[in-house]
Parts: sequence; C-alpha cells; structure tokens
Amino acid sequence: MKSAPFVMHQVNSQADILNLLDQYGDDARIIAGGQTLVPVLAMRVASPDHLIDINKVIELKNFGVSGDVLLVGSGVRQAELEKWSDLDKTQPLLSMMFPWIAHAPIRNRGTVCGSIAHADPSAELVLGLAVLDGSVTLVSKKKKRIVQAKDFFLGALQTCRQSNEFIESVQFPIRGHDARFGFSEYGYRHGDYAVVAVAVIQEGNSWTVGFGGVDDTVRVYKCVANSINEISQFIDDLASETEVREDPTATSGLRRHLMRSLGKRACQQATDFRVIK
Amino acid sequence: MKNHLVTLSLNGVEREAACESRTTLLDFIRHDLGLTGTHAGCEHGVCGACTVEFDGEVVRSCLMFACQANGASVNTVEGIAKSGEMSDLQSAFKKYHALQCGFCTAGFLMSAKDLLNKNPNPTELEVREGLSGNLCRCTGYVGIVEAVLEVASARAYKNGREHA
Repeated sequence: MKSAPFVMHQVNSQADILNLLDQYGDDARIIAGGQTLVPVLAMRVASPDHLIDINKVIELKNFGVSGDVLLVGSGVRQAELEKWSDLDKTQPLLSMMFPWIAHAPIRNRGTVCGSIAHADPSAELVLGLAVLDGSVTLVSKKKKRIVQAKDFFLGALQTCRQSNEFIESVQFPIRGHDARFGFSEYGYRHGDYAVVAVAVIQEGNSWTVGFGGVDDTVRVYKCVANSINEISQFIDDLASETEVREDPTATSGLRRHLMRSLGKRACQQATDFRVIK
Repeated sequence: MKNHLVTLSLNGVEREAACESRTTLLDFIRHDLGLTGTHAGCEHGVCGACTVEFDGEVVRSCLMFACQANGASVNTVEGIAKSGEMSDLQSAFKKYHALQCGFCTAGFLMSAKDLLNKNPNPTELEVREGLSGNLCRCTGYVGIVEAVLEVASARAYKNGREHA
C-alpha cells in the first residue's frame, strides 16, 4: 500500500504546469486534492514517473459567477464551494449534491475539477456537470479549448483530455429563475460512490433527467411533461427500455428499480422546490 | 531518495525531517517525526483512523504526501491533551466506553473535536453525520455519539454559568 517512487514537481504557476505536461505527457499526472489519485498510486493501479502538484498555484484557486456560468478553477476544494454562501442561490443542484460526496475530511481536500478529471460515472459532480450541460476548459502550451460535458466524458474514467492538456476550470451554467431542481441517490454506505444517482431540472413543463451509475457515462434525457404522473411514466418507460449496467455491486434489475424510485423522488423534489430569490 | 526537506509545525512545535516524494503525511508523522498516535488503518481514505488537522481543516493524512505539508500547521491526537491530562472529550470517551481496541480512536477524537468547534451544539443526527467518515469495528457508534453529545452539553452548561 505504498506508492511506487515518483518525482514530485511543486509548481507555482500555470505556465510551469503546461511546460511540464508538454515535456512529460502521459508520464506525468496532475495532483490537486489527490483524494482519488493517492489511493490509486498506493494500490499501484497507476505509477506515473512524475506528479505535478498544483496546490500552490494561486491563480487556479478562484471560483465565482462569470457571465451565465459558475466557473470553478482547478485549485478549488469541494468544501470551499460547498460553504460558499451564494451556492444555494447560484447552483442549488450542487448544493444538494455536496453532502453526498464522500465525507467532510475528503471534501476539505478534494477538488471539484479533480472529480471531473477522474470521470467516474457514479460521481455526483460528474452527474451535475452533465445534467447542467456544463463545460470543461482544457489548456495546453499551444492552445485552449472549451469542451461540452457530453463530449468530454468518453467512458468510465475516460475523457477527451490529451496528455499535454490541463483542466484549467469547469463551468456550470446557471439556470433561469424558474428552474427547479431535485437530486436523489442510493449507495451502500453513506459517502460511498452511488449505485444509482438521479438529478432533475424542471423548467416549466420541460424536464432534464440525468442518471449516474447506470452506464459508463452519465445518461441525460430531456422530455416535456405536464404533470408529475407524466414524468413518472417517462422514467418508468426509460428504466424498462434502456440498457443498464450489471456488475458485482448491483444487478441491472436493482439499478432499474432505483432509476424508477429515485427518479420519481427527485422529480417530486423538483416540483416541491422553493426558488431562492 | 529523501530529497524533500519538510518543515512543519506539529502540535505547535516546529519539526523538520527529510523524506521521499512518495512518503505520505501519515508515514512522515509516524516514522520520521516519531508521533505514533495517528494510526495507519486502510491507507486509502476509507477508515478515518489517520485523521489530522491540516491548516485548520481535518483531512486524511494517508491521502496526501508529506512534501505537500511543507510550511503547514498540523495537529494530531497528541496535541489534544498537551498538559498530560485528558481533555473533556477524551474523558467522555472513557466514561461511555467509546473505545475498545482503540485503533480508530485517534481519528474519532480529531473528527469529534473539529465537529464541536464548528457546531458546538449538534443534534444526535449531526454528530452521526459528522463522524460518518470514521469507522469503528469494535464498539459500534452508540458510546461514541453519547460521549460527543455529553461534551457538547457540558461545555454549553459551563459557558452558560460563566456568562451568568
């Protein structure tokens, strides 16, 4: 349970990060909070030759509203965003999700962008970014590009990030004042990854429903429904008709059941949601 | 190769030692600085036995590297009772049989201390939520929760009397 040897680069600027990534590519990994990476290294699932520690890069520690998105820099800890007094008003869905992400000591160190970079399809923030139709800003020494969540996540733990690219920030679009949100999750132990998690956005009769944990990437569906019965029917049909992952932690039958029960619970929550002015 | 020289404040005392890049903060505290109160349990962030206070926030010391702690302020279970006498929290753990083998206790004490600092008057549910990142495999959690709740009410009573 000890990491293989590596060289630690403790950098002070984004320019240093990009230079090192340009030089080492796949042989290097970024470490921010390290709450997933350190166990991965300890179990030697990965053993990169170089780690680039970005914790001292001040310019990455910013977050806030930028135009119509909540922009979160890659140095921002989950607990910082969780404790932000405007989060309820700005991104209620993320506010609902944070208590479900691991435990407080993990959120104190883990970063928002780290969770996105890891791309676990059961992770709450991955679900949040996908269902809000957010984006990821990738920079390399040569260029900068902004990728939509649906194009960024390619599979379980797989993203479109190139080996010389660095996640500078993620953007969570801010929905209109009429938007209502719901979130529900089931895991075997509080703080564990979700077996199934559901996030719902209701804007009038237009619904967006996202499921985490049922496939290699988050599944996002949109539909028009005029009543809670109609949206419940939509979720029932979805749970019956789509392919659902089966693995040693849960059968596809259990996952279908959870899609229905958690899905309806999240929709009800959205219907009851009180908009904070 | 021990190519990092790490200087940090450990329970208020400045300490310095050399370590490898891959040395976790946990191993550094135990092996290089010689304070073995912080325990190595699962070493991948699940059990909470290695919980320490890092620059004012509780973190898993197994999930960060010692070289990342250069210049930081770290408090461990040894810092809870500096006078050599048990703190109120430690005494309550003893009173309520909140430990059996004691392996998880250092982590629980650090989490409970942080919980009470941030929320001096928690409900039972809030205590359970606040300690949910720590695992105990001997006693269950009833005694631990009772101990924390008693400390909260004893401190509230004491503060009330002082302000009366």
